[in-house]
Order: sequence, then C-alpha cells, then structure tokens
Amino acid sequence: MCPDTRVKEVGHLNRGNVIRDAECISSNNVFPNLMLDAFSRAAVSADSSGSFIGGGELASLKSFIADGNKRLDAVNAISSNASCIVSDAVAGICCENTGLTAPNGGVYTNRKMAACLRDGEIVLRYVSYALLAGDASVLQDRCLNGLRETYAALGVPTGSASRAVAIMKAAAGALITNTNSGAKKMALTSGDCASLAGESASYFDMVISAIS
Amino acid sequence: MKSVITTVVGSADSASRFPSASDMESVQGSIQRAAARLEAAEKLAGNYDQVAQEAVDAVYNQYPNGATGRQPRKCATEGKEKCKRDFVHYLRLINYCLVTGGTGPLDELAINGQKEVYKALSIDAGTYVAGFAHIRSRGCAPRDMSAQALTAYNQLLDYVINSLG
Repeated sequence: MCPDTRVKEVGHLNRGNVIRDAECISSNNVFPNLMLDAFSRAAVSADSSGSFIGGGELASLKSFIADGNKRLDAVNAISSNASCIVSDAVAGICCENTGLTAPNGGVYTNRKMAACLRDGEIVLRYVSYALLAGDASVLQDRCLNGLRETYAALGVPTGSASRAVAIMKAAAGALITNTNSGAKKMALTSGDCASLAGESASYFDMVISAIS
Repeated sequence: MKSVITTVVGSADSASRFPSASDMESVQGSIQRAAARLEAAEKLAGNYDQVAQEAVDAVYNQYPNGATGRQPRKCATEGKEKCKRDFVHYLRLINYCLVTGGTGPLDELAINGQKEVYKALSIDAGTYVAGFAHIRSRGCAPRDMSAQALTAYNQLLDYVINSLG
C-alpha cells in the first residue's frame, strides 16, 4: 500500500502508456479510447454484432436516466467525504495490524504513510469516476492496469491494501445509502439507493481482486 | 468514446480531482436531454428497414442510370441491395450516436476515410446525399416521434449530409 512516491508514479504511468499504445497498434479495436460510459458501452457492444440498439439495452439506459439524480448524489456522497473515507480506512488497517507502524512495517515512516494515504485517495477517485460513468472501464484502464505488478515490485503488503479498500467499500456504501451514523448524514430526499451502493461495492471488489 | 460523461471524467482525471459540482451539473444536463435521444433511437431501431428502403427508392428516382448518368445500370437489383446495406449501416451508427449523445460512432466508424473510399470506388457521394435528404424531409413530429427527439435525429442526419458534401 505504501510505495516510494516517485518510483511508483513514473513506473505506473509508463507502464500504462506502453500498454495503451500497444493495444492501439496491435489490436483491431476501432475504439482506441478505452474510457466508456454506460451509453457508449451499449454502442460498442451492439457494434460488435452489427445490430441496432433497441428494446432491452434501451430499457437499462432509461433506468440509468431515471435514477440520474440518485447517481449524482451517490458520487457527491463519496467525493464530499473522500478525506474521511481514506483516512478512516488507513487508520483502520493500522489499528487492526499494529505491525504496520512498527519498524520495517508497511507504513513505517511518515513518507510511506503519506504514500499509503495518497494511493487510497487515488483508488477512491477512480471508483467515483466509474460510479459517475456507470462503467468500470476508466477504473480498469487508468488505475488497475498494471497495479498488481507495481505493488509486487515495490513490496506493498497486498493483504493490508485489500483490507483498506474493503473498509472504504463499507464506508462508501453507508454514505451512499445515507445509513452512516450521525454527523455526516446528508439532508436528502429518502430513496432506495441499494442498487447504487451495490454498484459501487462491485467497483471496490474489482480493486481488491486486481491487487490480491 | 467521447461523450459528455467521459469528457467530464477525463478533465477531472487530468486535474487529479474528484468530480466537482460543475461536473455534476454537466452530467445532469446531458441526462436531461437523453430521454429524447433515446426515444429517437428506439423509434429508429424499430423502423430502420423501411427508412432505408425509402432512401434507396429516392436515390434511384433521382439517378435512374447511376450517379454518372453515362450508362444504364446493368445490375440494378444488386446495386439496390448494396445501396440499402449502406443506408442501414449509416442509420445504425446514427442510432449509436443518439444513444451516446455524441458523434463519436459516426466519426470513428464511417466518416473517417469516407471520401477516400468513395473516390477510390468511383461512387458519387451525391447519391447518398439524395437518400439522406429524403430521410431528412420524411421525419415528422409527432407522427414519428416527439419534436425534441426529431430535432436530435435531424441534427445527426444533417451531420452526415454535411460530411458527404
């Protein structure tokens, strides 16, 4: 979870660009820009079979539109509480595993702890993008692509990293359904946001399975 | 693929920030207009075959002897089938554009390289313009779809016609 800042950024960015360039050149993918949303995802998958978009696909997009305000509230719930969600998750793994802050531990020294907090925020930010777009492609392509190899090379303890993501998943779910305790409750019209909480949970699960 | 949401996410990402209030407003605006676009997409998906057939008929009325007019067509049936196939292809991409809310599918799958291909195959782009002009004048609100939906649909037809000009 806590790699050296500069090495991680340079290495990760280079790796991502190389993989993206290679895909553009070698594959016959006619959509080299890999960032999609729920609408363009429907277009890409319909094009692969040469069919029109109608009926069933349109029904799911219509429900995306009908629940548009809920989705924006859910993204707002995450981005407005980002700092809390991240620091709670990192503090949580440190409480659960005191070895992390001891000498030679994963977050020993403030420099590593700071890198850990920064990575948590990056993951949360890409989850918020995926939730806004209704599609995981931005998370997969720009955040998770090559992350496992980067963490392995830097010796990041993936068990602790996964646990931090799991804590963020629980916190984000509570904030989206507005079932969190006390002070951070939002003044919203009540509605059923269970499916959006489930969708955000699926994005966090992608992160966990990508790094562990 | 370019759409309002991917553009918003892309700019937020290049600044390393969470989606802001103005990002939300942009997405909300696109969602509000999406209902009309999806209506047009649905109607087009249900009726594209007839629309394409009428376009082919309009083309062959205007150019009974082919676009160059030099000689009568020898294989009219085959030509008509290919002509209809092409119109269906364009209508399918217009359907995608209506769903995504941008011109990305048309740009990436048809318009890029279009002129070069038609030139190499000695096809006069004017024949397609004749067909699309007929489709453009054929749509009628509220008979076919709501006025807002028809506006979105006609906007894309105009985009194709201009790309062929």
